[in-house]
Amino acid sequence: MSAAPGLLRGDSPGLTLARRSLALIGLCLLLLPFADLRIIAVDPWGELSRMAQGFAWPDFLALENPLRAIALTVSVALWGTCIGAMLGFPLALLFHRSRLIRSFCAFVRAIHELFWALLFIQVFGLSSITALAALAIPYAGIFAKVYAEILELAPKSPTDALPAGTDRLSRFLYAELPLVWERLASYTRYRFECAMRASVLLGFVGLPTLGFYLESAFREGRFSEAGALLWIFYALVATLQWWGDRRLLLPLLIGALFFLGPWPDVDGNLLWRFVSHDLWPAPLLDGDLVGLGSWLASLPDLLPAVGNTLLLALMGTVGSLILALLLWPLASHHFGRPWQRIGGRLMLVVLRSTPELMLAFIFLLMLGPSMLPAWLALALHNGALIAFLVARHADGIKVGMADLPASGRYAYELLPRLYPNLLALICYRAEVIMRETALLGMLGVATLGFYIDSSFQYLMFDQAFFLLLVTAGLNIAIDAISRRFRPREAPLDDPCSR
Amino acid sequence: MPLLTFDSVDLGYGTQVVLPGLTLSLEAGERVALLGQSGAGKSTLLAEIRRRLGNAAAWCPQGHGLVPLLSVYHNVYMGQLERHAALTNLVNLLKPRREAWQAIDAVTRELGLEGLLRRPVAQLSGGQRQRVAIARAFFQGREIFLGDEPLASVDPHQALRLLDRIQARHTSSIIALHQHRLALEYFDRIIGLRDGHVVLDAPARELTLAQLDALYPDAGKNAGTSPPGHSDREARLETSP
Repeated sequence: MSAAPGLLRGDSPGLTLARRSLALIGLCLLLLPFADLRIIAVDPWGELSRMAQGFAWPDFLALENPLRAIALTVSVALWGTCIGAMLGFPLALLFHRSRLIRSFCAFVRAIHELFWALLFIQVFGLSSITALAALAIPYAGIFAKVYAEILELAPKSPTDALPAGTDRLSRFLYAELPLVWERLASYTRYRFECAMRASVLLGFVGLPTLGFYLESAFREGRFSEAGALLWIFYALVATLQWWGDRRLLLPLLIGALFFLGPWPDVDGNLLWRFVSHDLWPAPLLDGDLVGLGSWLASLPDLLPAVGNTLLLALMGTVGSLILALLLWPLASHHFGRPWQRIGGRLMLVVLRSTPELMLAFIFLLMLGPSMLPAWLALALHNGALIAFLVARHADGIKVGMADLPASGRYAYELLPRLYPNLLALICYRAEVIMRETALLGMLGVATLGFYIDSSFQYLMFDQAFFLLLVTAGLNIAIDAISRRFRPREAPLDDPCSR
Repeated sequence: MPLLTFDSVDLGYGTQVVLPGLTLSLEAGERVALLGQSGAGKSTLLAEIRRRLGNAAAWCPQGHGLVPLLSVYHNVYMGQLERHAALTNLVNLLKPRREAWQAIDAVTRELGLEGLLRRPVAQLSGGQRQRVAIARAFFQGREIFLGDEPLASVDPHQALRLLDRIQARHTSSIIALHQHRLALEYFDRIIGLRDGHVVLDAPARELTLAQLDALYPDAGKNAGTSPPGHSDREARLETSP
């Protein structure tokens, strides 16, 4: 008779994943004491109740000219996505052939939309060019990668059936593109939803989208106005399936042109000076190596910033993992009653639609400037997003033993089938969380983003650009690590998950 | 006149040899049936024949190789993609070319697909898709027909009609199939494969059903113990007395 194996012993795929996840959670717990999780605000609950009141009794009449902000938000998102897709598609065709293109795409998507905006504002001011470029450039990199992955997964049999000598373009148009068209379209659609959130966020750097009014309303404590703006944003996202219909795309694109603006007068000399001179350390341009040393020494102390960035990313990832595990049953038809599910799904949709910076901002006003609000925001937003996808995946599964108690169904029937996919989603998300971590610095959390933001404010463009490069490098490294960590056995069937 | 000869060659994919030391000669004007269990090497042999004949042969692949989102018209049109410039093919996606439309209308009518030219292939039944795949091979307009189980998803009655059309339109045909009765009655020559070897090669009129059944040793053994695969079941239906 053989003895039962000990705790977590064995080499089944499930146990391997469980050990890996527990190691990750353990690492996070071990490092948690180094994080600054103080609650600084005097009266967090009072603040929360005032915000909740504002949300419950929104004051739409206090808004001045909300239609213009809505139109600009939608227009920027629409054209940003469209230009990104137009740039990304040709790159996708070359993606697997050229290392140069792969690195270029990895670089442009490693920098968050808001940082691109901060960079372009210096040249194009608070104009539509800044807004569109800030969305289109990172999205081109993302589209290139995801489109290339989708195209690679196209079934090969129609191509094999073609007569010999068919030219490349015809082969692509007849036997490749139609097979993946739906998936490309649905990913582009998902990206447009992300662009809506990003477009709102552009308000945080001063572009007059919804986010601009949201931020000032929150900052000045006009919560009923902020509540009204939030309701408008949720309504926009919730009704997207109607106004975002494929047949309306062309009229929307044309209509959006009227709301974009103002267009800046671009001074070519100034632009060239910025790109060739301002972005680079002066000693480097002069070839002065000693000067470069002292330039580097004049940088703010980067180690704590990098440490904080990495720690917050780890905490955000682990927090999302735990929340996703807890939250997904709320929206799955395997658990609860219909009305509970509607509530659960609504909560997840609201959490995933709120831009994470917005969430962080709200928690920041409540709890004061520490890593806690950033952590909560990252974990809630990403956890809800993954929980929603996992619930959808779970709804496609038919359980073998339907009359098990709920805990049995969760642990024996569903989780073993869902977990590889859930973990793969978390690993994909880790890169996104990393990008957002740096971003949260703009709210005063001492990550790299904090120093980037302040360098821009002090017009030290060379320093800001250097820090951006460091951030991008970190992101690319995290992406590589999470790709290794990601369970191989779970290919993501849903490209919309990234 | 020999169409093709294999003189003890190894066939396979990459480094994996599926048909070792194959010696075989195929004649022009012959109607050849290729029999054997799934995995016996029929597809490998057909792929190699296709490679050697190039565009001299029309090709109807296993599993159809159709594009679900495109219409029947466009799927059939794909049979002649190599004869037109890329730009012509591109415009044809947006506005069908008149001559091609008429030719394809005629071909599809012949196969009982009338009125379906505009329909996306995704909305067709299995049997209809099968006929679209055959229509595409017809549209290629070649002397030789190569088919990898082109009659797999149609009923026996229809299989007979389709086979009749295939042979009327082509002087030579080499077709992998599982229907033993059809092979005996409508082909000149039968080649039987088993585990990568030619174990049977004779004129159809000299063969009996029992000899063909011997190519499927698993069919009897599997019966009743495990759910049989699609092709096995079909083979048994055809061969049971």
